[in-house]
Amino acid sequence: MVVPDEATGDLPEAAARRFASGAFTSGLTVPDFAACLQLGLEPVGFTQGYSVMRWQWYGMSPMGMGGFGAQWGGIRGYSDTWSCPHGMVSAEHRSWGQNYEQAWVEDAWTTGFTTAYGRMVEEAASGGAHGVVGVVDTCQPLSDMGVLEFRVQGTAVRVTDGTPPAAGRPWTTYLAGQRLTKLIEAGYAPVSIAAATSSVRVWANCVTQYLTEGSNSMYGGTTPGAEITQTVTAQMAARQIATQRVRSQLGHDSLHGAALTTTQRELGEGDAEIECILRGNRVRRFKDFDPMPGPRPTVRLL
Amino acid sequence: MTDTPNELPQDLPEGASKRLAELEHGLFTSDLSVNEFLLIKEVGFHPVGFVMGSSIYHTGIQTRKWGQSQELTKLTEAMYNARELAMTRMEEEALELGADGVVGVRLDVNYYEWGKDAAEFIAVGTAVKAESGVSHRNRLGKPFTSDLSGQDFWTLMQTGHIPQGLVMGTCVYHIAHRGLGATLGSTGQNVELPNFTQALYEARELAMTRMQDEANELGASGIVGVRLEEKSHQWGSHTIEFLSLGTAVVKTADEVTLPRPTTIISLDN
Repeated sequence: MVVPDEATGDLPEAAARRFASGAFTSGLTVPDFAACLQLGLEPVGFTQGYSVMRWQWYGMSPMGMGGFGAQWGGIRGYSDTWSCPHGMVSAEHRSWGQNYEQAWVEDAWTTGFTTAYGRMVEEAASGGAHGVVGVVDTCQPLSDMGVLEFRVQGTAVRVTDGTPPAAGRPWTTYLAGQRLTKLIEAGYAPVSIAAATSSVRVWANCVTQYLTEGSNSMYGGTTPGAEITQTVTAQMAARQIATQRVRSQLGHDSLHGAALTTTQRELGEGDAEIECILRGNRVRRFKDFDPMPGPRPTVRLL
Repeated sequence: MTDTPNELPQDLPEGASKRLAELEHGLFTSDLSVNEFLLIKEVGFHPVGFVMGSSIYHTGIQTRKWGQSQELTKLTEAMYNARELAMTRMEEEALELGADGVVGVRLDVNYYEWGKDAAEFIAVGTAVKAESGVSHRNRLGKPFTSDLSGQDFWTLMQTGHIPQGLVMGTCVYHIAHRGLGATLGSTGQNVELPNFTQALYEARELAMTRMQDEANELGASGIVGVRLEEKSHQWGSHTIEFLSLGTAVVKTADEVTLPRPTTIISLDN
């Protein structure tokens, strides 16, 4: 994760006042709060970072955002073409198809995410935190204003009798409570969250259109069972791109608790947009694994 | 922990007084689950009754400037006062029962067709009393309130903390509309809108700061389980209420030895 080196100084005045106040705030649940205390982590405050982005032309691929398909030039990254096997050429027959990476969408997501994340880290650093646990990030439309808001929130903590992190930059993790406890028991310390996205547009050819639209298609007849190769290839590519991006953030560290979400937005006639987001925790080994005692059968009072 | 105040609540409905009088004879009502009941008892508390408070409030209107992000202070005050009234009435019911606190508090807002611009604010929870007879009321002499479940209440007590009060902060904020020039200027670009970001950031921070001020008044050492809720209610998309809620806690023991985590196999389904 790219975190700004220097505080950008754009924290709202209310944020500084909140951190100067006496009581700590914590977004942790009580079990997570108890587990953090057990680990020697004292909550400093609930930290947050936001970025509101104008978000339009999503998937439209205008020239200003990096090209209009391979034939126009300007595609960056993954691209793949699909030809018609029927040899038909007409205005209605999709004799040509393409999968391509939408770099402008990825760039916008990365900008929004890293800006919000950087602000959260900045807020935590200004409160003297050593780390941020229980990070939650979301990206959703803000009411019906035609804008997207990136939110990154977490609970800043200080390690009891611990030393501040290198360069004053707090470590971050999606984990909290028992999952963080288990990670540390296993000999790994959190370094930072790691997240990346990929966006691939499917411009369907005739076969993809036919298989996607099924028996209701303009071609009529029943649909045979067959793999939709173009869409599958796009999905595989999207996952691979997101994975490679996260891998490039890790250095010599490992990724723990990776979660890959894939969203496919149908655009009609077989066209689609596939978006992958891979999130995980960058962790570093700091001690050998301490074997935990054997499990004890328990009835939970939850 | 303070002594019980002498004054008694004044504005409880007659039906509530009658119900509470019956509860004083030993019968208790509670919305706790069986497991919650068991855990509340385990940490030395006993449920004394299901308590509630409500307020139907006319939230009014406030003019907004189309192109300016600003806090709508009248609406903020209205939303805050209405919740505070509901909470205070619930606390009054708890006081009537001689309770030390209220756990599992839920704070809801309901709108009805018959009341345009009016909303019902409801606070409900289960009043509890310490079995030891030692008062656990907060430093304002009121029963503590908390939205923690029975399980969370038990866990919190193990950490050497006790709730002081359900604290909240609210901020109703109008987000400016974008002018035609600004909209056209960024056509075709995915870019950050710094004014929007700062407005929302400021609104959330104001809500959280107000919540924290409430905690400071209670002498709390911290707030756990903070939630940040956002709703436009009936005001349209550009006016949003940011509500921050959490349970203020105070440390009751300096040194607490928390049990070391152990691995378990759950025997539940």
